[in-house]
Amino acid sequence: MTASDWQGLLKGVPSLLGGLGINLQILLGLVTLGFLVGIVIALIQVYGPRPLATLAVGYEWFFRGVPEMVLLLLIYYGLRQFHVPITPFIAAVVALGLRSSAYQSQIFRGAIQAVGSRQMMAALSVGMTRLQAIRHVILPQALRLSIPPWSNEFSSVLKDTTLASAIGVIEVFKRARFIIGRQYGLALPAFMLVALFFLVLTYMGNWILGALERRYRIPGFEAKGTGERF
Amino acid sequence: MRLTFALALSLLVTGLATVGAERYIVASDIPWAPFEWASPEGDYLGFDLDVMRCIAVLMGYEIEIRPVAFDSIIPAVRLGEVDIGASGFTITAEREEVVDFSNPYWLSNQAVLIRKDSKFKSLDDLFCCGNKIGAQRGTTGADWVQSNLVDKGVDVKLVLYETYPEAVLDLVNGRLAAVVQDEPASQQSLAAYPVLKVLDTIETNEYFGFLVASGDPKGLLPKINEGMLELGLRYDLSLPAEGQWKVKFRILPDSPWFYLVQAYFGPPLEKVEAAWKSCIGTLYDETLAPEERVYNFAKCLAEKASE
Repeated sequence: MTASDWQGLLKGVPSLLGGLGINLQILLGLVTLGFLVGIVIALIQVYGPRPLATLAVGYEWFFRGVPEMVLLLLIYYGLRQFHVPITPFIAAVVALGLRSSAYQSQIFRGAIQAVGSRQMMAALSVGMTRLQAIRHVILPQALRLSIPPWSNEFSSVLKDTTLASAIGVIEVFKRARFIIGRQYGLALPAFMLVALFFLVLTYMGNWILGALERRYRIPGFEAKGTGERF
Repeated sequence: MRLTFALALSLLVTGLATVGAERYIVASDIPWAPFEWASPEGDYLGFDLDVMRCIAVLMGYEIEIRPVAFDSIIPAVRLGEVDIGASGFTITAEREEVVDFSNPYWLSNQAVLIRKDSKFKSLDDLFCCGNKIGAQRGTTGADWVQSNLVDKGVDVKLVLYETYPEAVLDLVNGRLAAVVQDEPASQQSLAAYPVLKVLDTIETNEYFGFLVASGDPKGLLPKINEGMLELGLRYDLSLPAEGQWKVKFRILPDSPWFYLVQAYFGPPLEKVEAAWKSCIGTLYDETLAPEERVYNFAKCLAEKASE
């Protein structure tokens, strides 16, 4: 790399970090949406009446089966076609969030089923309603159990936020391409910098999730990999 | 949890807020220096974009510049997602069927870029033997290779790229024999890569124009055309013969157009960026008349860029 390459890269760092902020906003939006919808879908699949449960399975099948890029373009251009004034940013949050909700629903479904139906029966037998049992008995345990698999989904969707560049969100990957387009010599260094950003974010995110996992573990139900030795 | 939800909701609301009237969205394929590119700090600048900004000041409307991939600009204009396409668009009959163009503002030919170490001595050497020619998808350069070589059975392979710099990188790395692209952008590649040279120029006589949706629903073309005149671009017209434009550009001396050309076609990008940063304020100096602001800005840009 020449001196002017270093200079160009250095000057581009604030713009890249600004772009990374957009990725984090998309991440926050999509994870929130995916979490809320994912829990509802999981609960419907486990406890819902047959027709609703079938619908939830269909939902999960669709959003897990369609390639993310296609989903992004489908939601953005599809809604645009019907003159829904959706911005690329919101389209990215919705498309990636719905996709993530399908994956997250399976994490939560597994965790709910791991808690077991006996606890539900026990809760009902002491006079709780189904909703109360879900709220006070099942979910508190299921959510804790789902942290390890959820960290996997987190690492995956974090990187997926760069796909938003395809529908015109000027996030970190797009900005790296701007920088490269201006100074071709930066092709490798700029992408390496973006890769480094995501490595750091993945590490930090998983570290926080690991801490949460240790903090909220259920005695006797520890998953492996929490540093506990048996 | 509640906080993140509130945050997501507020993002949704701001995202859906509609833009006010008299504000038009200009779509441009960044980066394609010197017509449009992003500085390392993230400013969008370039000849097309500053012409757009100056015209907006003169005509009293606001613009927002939105980077859009080149082959998506015309669809975006037709869908009404953006109002103006300003991205070095060649005026072609094919495009005129689906969008409306302003008066032409630039004349360009296609340059054929090769590596200095390659064995090609002429276009005839190059256009044979299964050589790979790169071009940006949706450009007239790509069209030219397709219709004048591939479709006519010349043994070359056209390789398409989403951006022009990617094609040039593949040329430098030896994966392509040549890249076909407009002359001004090719000059930028030569400056960036001394290993490249222009093998030859193909006289395609392409006129660039700004484009809007068919029928000009927002009445922008008269404003753009009048703006270009006010900036100092003149035409010596003769009647179109056999579908070919016969237009000669004449640029008024000491006009904003003159200075914009001087600023953008010659000085290295870093100098233009530094000049742009220190001059752009003058364009939005509300104490002066629009004509003065535009003139001061263009002159400042040209002077500082060529210092």
